[in-house]
Amino acid sequence: MSSMSSGRIVGRSTGDRIILVLVIALALIMMAPIAWIIALSLKDNKELMTDMNSVFHAPYTINNYVNILATSSVFRWILNSVIVSGGLTIMTLVLSSLAGYGFARLSFPFRNTLFVIVLLGLAVPEQAVLIARHQLFSWLKFHNTYHGLILPGLAAPFGVFLMTQYFRAIPKELDEAALLDNASRFKIFWKVLLPLTIPAQATLGIFTFLSSWNDYFWPLISGTKKEMYTLTIGIASTQTNFAQSEGLGFLMSQAVFAGAPILILYLFFQKYIVTAVSGAAVR
Amino acid sequence: MTAHIEIQNVSKRYGSLTVLDGLSLTINANEFMVFLGPSGCGKSTLLRMIAGLESVDDGTISINGERIDNLPPGQRDIAMVFQSYALYPHMTVADNMAFGLRNIGLPAEVISARVAEAARMLEIGHLLERKPGQLSGGQRQRVAIGRAIVKEPKAFLFDEPLSNLDAALRVRTRVELAQLRNRVRSTMIFVTHDQIEAMTLADRIVVMNNRKIEQIGTPMEIYSRPASRFVATFVGSPTMNFLPVGLSGENGFARAKLPDGTDLQTAIRLEGINGSGHSLGIRAEAVKLANGTAATTTGKVEVIERLGDRTLLYTRLKEGSVVIAEDVGNSRIAIGDQVALALDGARTHLFNAEGRAWHNEGVGHG
Ligand SMILES: Nc1ncnc2c1ncn2[C@@H]1O[C@H](COP(=O)(O)OP(=O)(O)O)[C@@H](O)[C@H]1O
Ligand SMILES: [Mg+2]
Repeated sequence: MSSMSSGRIVGRSTGDRIILVLVIALALIMMAPIAWIIALSLKDNKELMTDMNSVFHAPYTINNYVNILATSSVFRWILNSVIVSGGLTIMTLVLSSLAGYGFARLSFPFRNTLFVIVLLGLAVPEQAVLIARHQLFSWLKFHNTYHGLILPGLAAPFGVFLMTQYFRAIPKELDEAALLDNASRFKIFWKVLLPLTIPAQATLGIFTFLSSWNDYFWPLISGTKKEMYTLTIGIASTQTNFAQSEGLGFLMSQAVFAGAPILILYLFFQKYIVTAVSGAAVR
Repeated sequence: MTAHIEIQNVSKRYGSLTVLDGLSLTINANEFMVFLGPSGCGKSTLLRMIAGLESVDDGTISINGERIDNLPPGQRDIAMVFQSYALYPHMTVADNMAFGLRNIGLPAEVISARVAEAARMLEIGHLLERKPGQLSGGQRQRVAIGRAIVKEPKAFLFDEPLSNLDAALRVRTRVELAQLRNRVRSTMIFVTHDQIEAMTLADRIVVMNNRKIEQIGTPMEIYSRPASRFVATFVGSPTMNFLPVGLSGENGFARAKLPDGTDLQTAIRLEGINGSGHSLGIRAEAVKLANGTAATTTGKVEVIERLGDRTLLYTRLKEGSVVIAEDVGNSRIAIGDQVALALDGARTHLFNAEGRAWHNEGVGHG
């Protein structure tokens, strides 16, 4: 890898140049809407109503953002989102790791059958179980609670599948070497195997967090009280009737605001996201 | 600390597949024992049973008189070097070596002293803070050995530790292992399919084949008195020549009639030789060109292998069988030459169709 990239620095071939230009062009095309959104969010709503082209010149203002922060509940919603997404992510990682280790390393009755059942869970769309889940949660009085928002996401077949495959790919000799090194089963899991799954943990954690953060469907149904809104629901609730035409700048600032934490997350975990998406072998 | 290992009647089955069938052997304290055999014959399985990584289906394994086959691996006081080295990828070299010592709660000073000593002995002191991914194959191999040494175990188990190294490094490491062996007094069991590794390292060799032990003996016993045709074929390079022969007797010693009709007097007692379909075994080093001496037979040279110090001649006898003969390093023989061969009848072996073996000076085991 390093020899390849250093080779590029020494002599860039015409092919490489063309690819570079194409990549830059593609990046510009993909970034244009984002730039557009950010520009709109920095404009006064009234000004945009009269002249859309005003987006290309001053005056710019941060008033829209000030207005978001002035919404009394917004910090509560952020907190809710952090609790729900963070809690879900941590618990998904713990459960998926334990289950993955079990499927990969322990032998117990019906192991393969159970694994197939887990995989079948991948094929069940949320909408199919929604009504039953709603009734169940309503009967359990789980609506408008954090566990009500978190629990459905915990049934995460993808995480179990991913971690099982990852543990399976770790050579058994490592367990055996650790066994000869007097390590207990838990210590082997905790000190030898788990550290090797960090790339998978990061991938799974990021995907879980992102999809939970962006989730609109279940929080809309379960968190119906204003103080239990997540950020996505809360922000949507502040939109006025004619937001598309009368409050465009405000609308865009909301989008930027809700997306910012994800951008920050991405910057921190960029390395893992790239490997996760490219499916490249880790380790 | 050292181990006297007693293996009695041990069997191993995977479902309906029997991998080891009633093996018994004793490994003496401080002995360097090599398990030698073709791939798939069960060497690793036997080693892993000693380590405790495989269960023992039948029979017992004891160390210093104490049964250990039901103890967990960590309590057998044994260290193992895996073929893949199995270093912990996320730990530094120092932590790899210290891991097992920390697990038994040794004081930190003792641990660092042992790690430092092993690192000095194996010349890996400069690598202690690296991770395995930053090491070459040979360096990883040393770390794996280091991880075993620091435990000061009663016995070291090696499962083909040299097979992932390139040829030159393999030879060098082999020599170093032999030296290490003299510094670390402990019982060592070494698994390999490479007969040269076995011959050069072992005090004794256990030749295994097809679920069973074929022979246990010192390298020279195995080489000069193979207990079966399998052992004779497997050990020694080039492989032993075999010629179908008819047997007759002359004052108690067997006389073999070669396929081309010539008679060869052996030093093997006729008495006790049984079975049918006998063949004569003779190593290339006992087949020379007949320069003036009485020729036994003649053949045509088909392949010439120059090894520098000696030359191997693959010659086809009149009736079709091939005999490998040995000539001096700067042999003048060319392909297609007709050569006269002198077979040394005193250095021959006889086998029957079941693979049983007979040697000079009495009947061989088997
Ligand atoms: N876990 C297992 N399940 C089924 N068969 C096995 C297992 N481990 C080894 N074997 C079989 O046992 C035989 C001996 O294997 P092994 O001890 O690894 O041979 P060697 O080390 O001599 O090459 C082989 O035929 C192998 O296929
Ligand atoms: Mg093996």
